Amino acid sequence: MGETFSVVGTRISQPDGPAKATGEAKFAGDIQMPGMLIAKVLRSPHANAIVKHVDTSAALRLPGVAAVITPDDISEWNTFDRGMKDKPLVEGYSVPPEEAVVNSHARHYGDPVAAVAAVNEHVAEEALSLLRVEYEVLPFVLDASPAMEPGAPCISDLAENNVAKHLNYPFPEGDVDAALKEAHLVVEGTFKTGKQEHCTQETAACVAFLDAAGRLNVWSQCQLAHLARRELASIFKMPVRKIKILTPFIGGSFGQRGALGAEPIAVALALKTKKPVRLVFSREENFVGLESRTGFDRVDVSMGFKKDGTLTAIKTYMLGRLGGYMGCGPMASVIGMALVMGHYRCPNRVGSSDMVLTNTPMSGAFRGFGNEVLSFCNEQLMDEAAEKLGIDPIDIRLKNAKQTGDIAAMGLNLESSYLEDCINDGAEKFGWKEKRSRPKDEGRIRRGYGMCTMSHCTGAAPLYLEHSNAMVKFNEDGSVDLTVHPAPVGQHIWGALSQICAEELGIRAEDVTIVTGDTDVTLFEYGSDASRSTYAVGGATLRAARQAKEQLLAHAAETLNAPLEDLDVKDRMVYVKHSPERRCSVGDLCYDAIYAFGGRATNFSGKQSFEPEWNSPIYGAYFAEVEVDTETGRVKVPRFLVAIDCGTAINPMAVEGQLEGGLQQGLGYALTEQYVVNSRTGVVETTNYDSYKVPGTMDMPQSDIIIIDKPDPKGPFGAKGVGEPGMVGIAPAVANAIYDAVGVRMRELPITPERVLAALEEKQADRG
Amino acid sequence: MKTIVDFTVNGELYELAVEPNLLLIEILRDKLGLTGTKHSCGVGNCGACTVLADGEPVLACMTLAMSVRGKEILTIEGLATNGVMHPIQEAFVTHGAIQCGYCTPGMILTAKALLDRNPDPTEGEVRHALSGNICRCTGYVKIVEAVLSAAEDMRKGAR
Repeated sequence: MGETFSVVGTRISQPDGPAKATGEAKFAGDIQMPGMLIAKVLRSPHANAIVKHVDTSAALRLPGVAAVITPDDISEWNTFDRGMKDKPLVEGYSVPPEEAVVNSHARHYGDPVAAVAAVNEHVAEEALSLLRVEYEVLPFVLDASPAMEPGAPCISDLAENNVAKHLNYPFPEGDVDAALKEAHLVVEGTFKTGKQEHCTQETAACVAFLDAAGRLNVWSQCQLAHLARRELASIFKMPVRKIKILTPFIGGSFGQRGALGAEPIAVALALKTKKPVRLVFSREENFVGLESRTGFDRVDVSMGFKKDGTLTAIKTYMLGRLGGYMGCGPMASVIGMALVMGHYRCPNRVGSSDMVLTNTPMSGAFRGFGNEVLSFCNEQLMDEAAEKLGIDPIDIRLKNAKQTGDIAAMGLNLESSYLEDCINDGAEKFGWKEKRSRPKDEGRIRRGYGMCTMSHCTGAAPLYLEHSNAMVKFNEDGSVDLTVHPAPVGQHIWGALSQICAEELGIRAEDVTIVTGDTDVTLFEYGSDASRSTYAVGGATLRAARQAKEQLLAHAAETLNAPLEDLDVKDRMVYVKHSPERRCSVGDLCYDAIYAFGGRATNFSGKQSFEPEWNSPIYGAYFAEVEVDTETGRVKVPRFLVAIDCGTAINPMAVEGQLEGGLQQGLGYALTEQYVVNSRTGVVETTNYDSYKVPGTMDMPQSDIIIIDKPDPKGPFGAKGVGEPGMVGIAPAVANAIYDAVGVRMRELPITPERVLAALEEKQADRG
Repeated sequence: MKTIVDFTVNGELYELAVEPNLLLIEILRDKLGLTGTKHSCGVGNCGACTVLADGEPVLACMTLAMSVRGKEILTIEGLATNGVMHPIQEAFVTHGAIQCGYCTPGMILTAKALLDRNPDPTEGEVRHALSGNICRCTGYVKIVEAVLSAAEDMRKGAR
C-alpha cells in the first residue's frame, strides 16, 4: 500500500441519502406538471401478429382523451434500436433497427401497438379498452433452435433463418481443434440459461413536454443520457439542439436503463398533443416491454487440459434467444466470450454464437452481460477437470490464473490482478480446506461447498466508446461544484466522485456539490454502464480537479511568497511543505481570486475530457455453502463469501453494497427467477412478483465481503470498477457447491427444485 | 359517485371527495403531491407503497381511500420533525442502506412500525418484519444493520 488518503477509502454517507430517506427525491414518475396528460400503452396479446387496423373512434369520443397513436402514424418517425449503441466491433449487423414507436407487426407478446394520452389514469385505461384492433394472427416461434429451421415463422425479412447475427469471439488464438486432440483431458458440457428480468423497483417512466421555445424536454431514466438525446433526435427527426434530457433519480437499472424504455411513446404523445405527457409502465409491462437478460438455449463448451491441470484450449458455441427485435442482446455473447474465455491463460481459443430472433420479449444488457452465462458453464467445467485430475478446485484456478503483465481478457495489457489474494483470503475466511475435507452428509439434507473465480471489465474499451467529461469549479468559500453526468441509479457514484475530487483538492467530500442531470449543463458523458463510472468519470474528475488545483496553488504561491513546488493542500489549507505554519485557507484564496481588482480576477476551474484506452479487469473469488434437500430438490444457501479485487475501494461501504446487492440478483438468477413463456400461446406468464420470485430478506444467506484494496496503476487513486462482478460468480459457485453436496451437475438455470430432483433421479438410474 | 372522507395525513386533517374506486396511493401521490409513497408492483407484492395507518403498515396500492376514513396516515414525508430526520432515516443514510432509494420509504415505515411495537428486535425479527418489502439493490444487509442500529439509538433515547 503506497499513498495514504484523507477522503478516499472512508465510509462516507451518500450526498443523496437524506433526499431519498425523506421522500424528497424525485423520480421520473414523481414529476408533476400543470395540464399534464397520462399515457397508457396497448400491447399485443399475440406473440406474432400483423396489426391490420386500429379503430380509434370510440376512444377518441371519450371525454378526456387527448390523443391516440397507432401504426398509421409511424411513417412520421424513424425506426430505432432500443439499445442505442454504435457497435464498433461487430459492424455490419444483418438486421437494421426495426422497432417503431408502436408496431404494425407485433413480434412478441406485449409489443406496443397503440397508445393513448388522457387527462388521468382512469380515463386513459378506459380509452385503451375502447380501441378495436384487427390482428392477422401468425404462427410464432419461441426458442432459438426451431426459429433457425427452414419453414419457421419469419420474424424479420432481413434475418435469414431468423439469425440476427452470427458473432465470433473477438480475440481468437492458436489452433483449438489440434489442441483438444492433443489434450490429456477434455471436459465438455452443454448448458442452458434463463431469461431474467431486472426487476428494478421503479418501473419504466418518462415525462416529456415541448417548452415555450419549442424545445423537447425529456425526463429520462436512461443511464446513457447523451446517447438517449441522440437516439430521440434520430427517431423524431429533430436536431439534437432541440432536445434537453433531464435525468431524475433512477430507481434501479442493472443495465436495463442502458436502453430506451418509456421515452419513445411519451415523446410521440407530447409532440402530438403539445402538452406534457407522463408514461409510467406497470410491473407487468416492465416484464414484457423492456430489454431483459438474454436466455441462451444452448451453450456448448469444450476445454482441454494437460495432466498437470494446465488449460490448453477452450471452444465455445452460444445460441441466444434475442426476442422480437435485436436491441443490444447480441453483445451478451461477445462480452461473455471475451471475458470468460480470456479469464485464464490459454493459448488456443475459439468461439462463436448465433443470436436468433424469436417471438419473445427483447433481450439486452443486464449486470454481467454474458459473463454470468459463460462463467456458469466454464467454472463448472474447471471443477470437473480438477476432480478428474485430482487437483483442488482452488489450485487448478491458481495454476491457470493470469498475472499482472499478461494480456487481459479484452486484449489490453493487464494492469493489476490480485486474484491470488482473493482466492487465498477468501478460502481462509470461508474455511475451504476444512469444509471440503469433511465427511459427506448422508441424510435427507446434504451440505456442499463450492467456489469459482471471475474477472470482469472496468468499462468496455476497446469494444465501446469510453468518453467521459468533468468540470470542477471553486466557489469563493473554497467549496467546489463538480459537473458530471453519470446515471444516479443507486451505485453511490455521487459520493465516490465527491471523494475523488476532494482527495485531489485537499478539501472534504462534503465541500463538493454534484451538478448534474441536464444535458444543457453537462459536457458529453457516454454514461454509466460496464462498471465504468468510478473509473472513467472518476478519471475525468481527477484530471479536472488537478487542473483547478494547479491554478489554486499558483495563486497561493504568490500569496504565500513561496515556490509552487513547495506547496501542498490538505484539509482545506494550502501550506508550505517544510514550514507548515506558512499557510492560507482554500476559501480565502478563492475569495481573493474571485473578488480581485486590477485585472487579477479569476475563478479557479478545470475541465477535462477523458477516454481511457485501457481497461483494468476486476477479479473475484466466490465461495458458496448450500444445503440440498434430496426429497424436495430445494437448495438453500446459508452462507456466501465474495473476495474482490476492485483496486482501491474509494468507499468500502459502497463496494460492499454492490456485492451484497449482486448476491441477491445472482441467487435469484441461480435458483428462483424463472421467466416463463407459455409454449402454446406465447403469453408471458411471469409478470409480477407473485409468479416470479426475487429473493427477499428471509432468502438471503449470511454474507461476507472481503475487499483486497490494492491500487491499480491506471484508475483514479487506484480504483477499478465493482458494479457488475457482484452478479457474475454467484450461480457457478452455487452449482459447484450442489455438486459437492449431492454429486449432480446442474446444466440449466435457474436450478429449480424440479430440475434438482430430475438430476438426482437420473443419477440414481445411472447407478441402478 | 363521490363520497366525503376525512382522515389525517402527517398530522394535517383532510376532508376529500373521493370516488369509491380511488386508491390511497392515488390520493397521496396525485391529490396531495406526497410522491414519497412509491408505486412499484401495483398488487401488494413488494411493499414499496407502505404507509402507516394508525401505526400499522398498509399497502397504499391496494387500499381503498374510503377505508382509511378517520385514520391517521403517516407517509415518509411526515417522519422527520423540524427538519431533523428520524433515527431510522438517519441510520439508513449512515449505514449505506439506501442505493437507488425507491424501496426506502416503504422499508423505513415498515421498520418504524416494528420498532414502535418491539424496541429491541433480533436480526431474525427485523428480517421477518421486512420480508414483504423487496429491495433489488442492497441484498438487505445494510438495511437490516440500519434498523438494528436505529433500534439501539432509539433505546438510548436519541429521540
